[in-house]
Amino acid sequence: MPTHRRDAIKQLITGAAITAAEAMFPGISFGAASKVEANLPGVDWKKTPCRFCGTGCGLLVGIKENRAVAVKGDPASPVNQGLACVKGYHSIMALYGSDRLKTALVRKNGRLTPVPMKEALDLVAAKMKQTIKDHGKDAVSIYGSGQWTIPDGYVASKLFKGCIGTNNVEGNARLCMSSAVTGFMTSFGLDEPMGCYDDIDHANTFILWGNNMAEMHPVLFSRMLDRRLKNSDIKIIDLATRSTRTSIASDRSILFKPGADLAIANAICHEILRNGWENRDFLEKNVSFHTGKTNIGYGTEDNFKFEEKAETIDLAKYKAMLADYTPEKAELISGVSANDIRYLASLYGDPRRKVVSYWCMGFNQHVRGTWINNLVYNIHLLLGKISTPGNSPFSLTGQPSACGTVREVGTLTNRLPHGEVTNEHDREMAAEIWGVPVENISAKPTFHTVEMFRAMDRGQIKFMWIQVTNPMVTMPKLKRYRDAAKKESSFIVVSDVYPTPTTEVADVVLPSAMWIEREGMFGNSERRTQHFEQMLQPPGEAMSDTWQLIEVARRLGYEKQFPWKYENHIQEIWREYGKFQAGPRHNMATYEELKRNPGVMWPYVNGKETKWRFNKKYDPATAGYNPKGRDDWNFYGKPDKRAWIWFRPYEPPAESPDKEYPFWLNTGRVVEHWHTGSMTRRISVLHQAMPNAYAELHPDDAKTLGVKNGGKVKLTSRRGSLVLPVAIDKRGRPPRGMVFVPFFDENLLINELTLDAFCPISKQPDYKKCAVRVELA
Amino acid sequence: MKTRVGIIALVSVLFLAAVAVVGESMRAEWQHPLPVESKSVQAFSTPIESGVFSRAPRALAYVQSEKNQGNRTLKQYYSRRAYTGAPPVIPHEIFDEKGFGGKGCLACHAEGEFVPKLKAYAPVTPHPEWTNCKQCHVAKEIVAPFRPTSFIAEKAPAIGGAALPGSPPPIPHTLAMRNNCLACHAGPSAPKEIRTTHPSRVNCRQCHAATEEGKQQPGFVDDWRLTQ
Repeated sequence: MPTHRRDAIKQLITGAAITAAEAMFPGISFGAASKVEANLPGVDWKKTPCRFCGTGCGLLVGIKENRAVAVKGDPASPVNQGLACVKGYHSIMALYGSDRLKTALVRKNGRLTPVPMKEALDLVAAKMKQTIKDHGKDAVSIYGSGQWTIPDGYVASKLFKGCIGTNNVEGNARLCMSSAVTGFMTSFGLDEPMGCYDDIDHANTFILWGNNMAEMHPVLFSRMLDRRLKNSDIKIIDLATRSTRTSIASDRSILFKPGADLAIANAICHEILRNGWENRDFLEKNVSFHTGKTNIGYGTEDNFKFEEKAETIDLAKYKAMLADYTPEKAELISGVSANDIRYLASLYGDPRRKVVSYWCMGFNQHVRGTWINNLVYNIHLLLGKISTPGNSPFSLTGQPSACGTVREVGTLTNRLPHGEVTNEHDREMAAEIWGVPVENISAKPTFHTVEMFRAMDRGQIKFMWIQVTNPMVTMPKLKRYRDAAKKESSFIVVSDVYPTPTTEVADVVLPSAMWIEREGMFGNSERRTQHFEQMLQPPGEAMSDTWQLIEVARRLGYEKQFPWKYENHIQEIWREYGKFQAGPRHNMATYEELKRNPGVMWPYVNGKETKWRFNKKYDPATAGYNPKGRDDWNFYGKPDKRAWIWFRPYEPPAESPDKEYPFWLNTGRVVEHWHTGSMTRRISVLHQAMPNAYAELHPDDAKTLGVKNGGKVKLTSRRGSLVLPVAIDKRGRPPRGMVFVPFFDENLLINELTLDAFCPISKQPDYKKCAVRVELA
Repeated sequence: MKTRVGIIALVSVLFLAAVAVVGESMRAEWQHPLPVESKSVQAFSTPIESGVFSRAPRALAYVQSEKNQGNRTLKQYYSRRAYTGAPPVIPHEIFDEKGFGGKGCLACHAEGEFVPKLKAYAPVTPHPEWTNCKQCHVAKEIVAPFRPTSFIAEKAPAIGGAALPGSPPPIPHTLAMRNNCLACHAGPSAPKEIRTTHPSRVNCRQCHAATEEGKQQPGFVDDWRLTQ
């Protein structure tokens, strides 16, 4: 440090001065000043989105001498405006677990053995080549993540879909957000929310559907609470299957039976129409009515297929179909009193109320996930309370870039960076931008996540590259898929930052550069893309997932498609990816603009973000379509330029409690831990606060069982069993007959018990509803 | 009797009419929402003084209670934090896991009274308006880490640091979430080393200036509430 000598002199002078001062003013101590030192000297503050959830808080990370030393909320970020949560504040500590993966590992004689990175990359490429040669291109696959940066997902898609020519590209967002995607696609024809977080500042009514925001989206929840503190007419209603912190903080907590949200939403629509609260003008101009297939199944069998058959109906027919959903009938299904349902309908229907509906995993991890997403849109569409400041059905995202990477880049079997693999024009566009023959891109989607692991079990998939995710903790019905991964026929490559249960089944482990150890972008829930620069050197031979993919692509002979220099590859990738999204519907900010701003929302046209899509006051993509009488809106995603209201009935969950397995098992998260805890458990503050998973029981159930707080119970489902400590009235309280278990704990794997039933439309598994037996252990 | 009924009826009719008129006007507004000004984020702004005076009314009590002061130390203060500026952990048993703000933590941490159960003065939160306390402050249920860590925390800022002999020391930390000086620097739960000798001088920043560290903040979390 060049200032050492000056500091020393300064200290000397100050020391002398203190002595003099103390002599002059007896009784007043100046002693402490002898340790004169500027606060956190030499610390450089750099902006980044938080590594963890989909809220996308802006953080400022303090960097000193290639070390991250402190975090504060970025006051310039419109998302969190200076606030963060306990995960964000301690996020940098996740970089420093002493067991960080620093070298590549290759399984030799059954043991993972360190090898040079180059050798591991050679082996990965050779193994891919051989597998493709022996078993065809659809025998290799990549399984990524909503924690992939945008460049990671983009190069993965380009390599697998464009160059190799297989649609075996999936991301763990399939387990997390795909019902939200199909909900958007079926209702609006375009993915991602029409509104944004600014809606919090305009709404006066917040209805949370199966969403423990106080723990899972705490910063947004705090923004809501803050608004309520200053406005007496703000109402927060918590609709849930279990009481949580969110319920306590809400004005009203309403509990419903698992899966019965379908009936409640329909009953709300029934009440809106019965009272004539619907916005006729809006409906006539902007909405069309449809029905689809019913009794659609649960996907628990291999090779399950589903094809929707939509039928157009009208308002009168829709109203008639809702006749089954009077509040009284919905009460029988949901356990929510007819009066409470009417109350909810009146909150939505009250013309003085601007309503935001929030939901996340409660809706998405649901065997009728697409339907329940449709149904909440129905409520907002019937009232015309949509896409105006403060009126917003808003699907919250779980992961930092589930939107930015998996959904926008399209790292799902059926998607391309722009559009669907089944669409010829979309394939042509991709082939042109990627510089590959159009025949390379297969028109046929292959396997969604659950089916991909089943295909591995069946021996169809021989090679899987897993990046930034931990499926050996998160897959439902875990044993089947772990056994599949362990098979001799499965070659598993895992890119990660720490040893996990997934690296345990790997044949090759590649050490990854984490978060701010590389450059990248995330895209959050409100269509905001956020850039972060490389602030630190990754440890050892750790390498970004993007660069790992590029290295392997080149070894496979795709130098032409992956020509970038290391120095500016992220910038070049962003430029190329931007071509896919050009145009008023999804235009992205330039690389330079992203570097300058704490995130930019798309569509970003002529230097302006779009806060409310489909609304002509705000959305540039609505221009040019202006038939008579439709001057306010343009729901341009659907061919009829209308938003679609779907009639979707109530159908029961795939597995409900019975005599043998009398309890519901509900799984989820806690504020301290990020997903499977591989990062947050290495943050001492977070691990010490929440060291292990637990079984949350209603006090009466605990009493009947004869178990106290901290006592052990054994949970058994048709798939497996697990012994857990009991938590009574700790973090939450389930109703009688339900047990809640968080899934972050790799030593207590609750997914051994869960069921791999999924929504037939989105293929997203339901982690919230299966049947278990609870016994004393 | 008749007149009374008449008056009641008249009032009721007027009331209903008023409800209808107001309701209709609201309805009209709802159908044509006012355009919202987009809030631009300023790259730089001066620190806002919100919060500085929010504990000022207690200043006199602080002066009077000087004899009755706790013995919390700065070392204890920092031992609760993973690094300087990190939200402190909850070092005691949590009495209500699900509790929020006023009914939970703030029962003790708003005023900093003596808590007999814990035999300690409760530290005062500088931001009682944020009520989802456990969003940032978590318990310490166990001591052992999951895996060892190589994270190195920066040394805490030194106290004092006056530029001239006898001049008031500047503020060595950021002000985000910590705008209210008296919360940590006065009263029985303030760490001894940073407890002010003159709590009745409530206009703290009249003499104590923000350092570079403070100025680097382009704005403060507290701005957000003022600009709404």
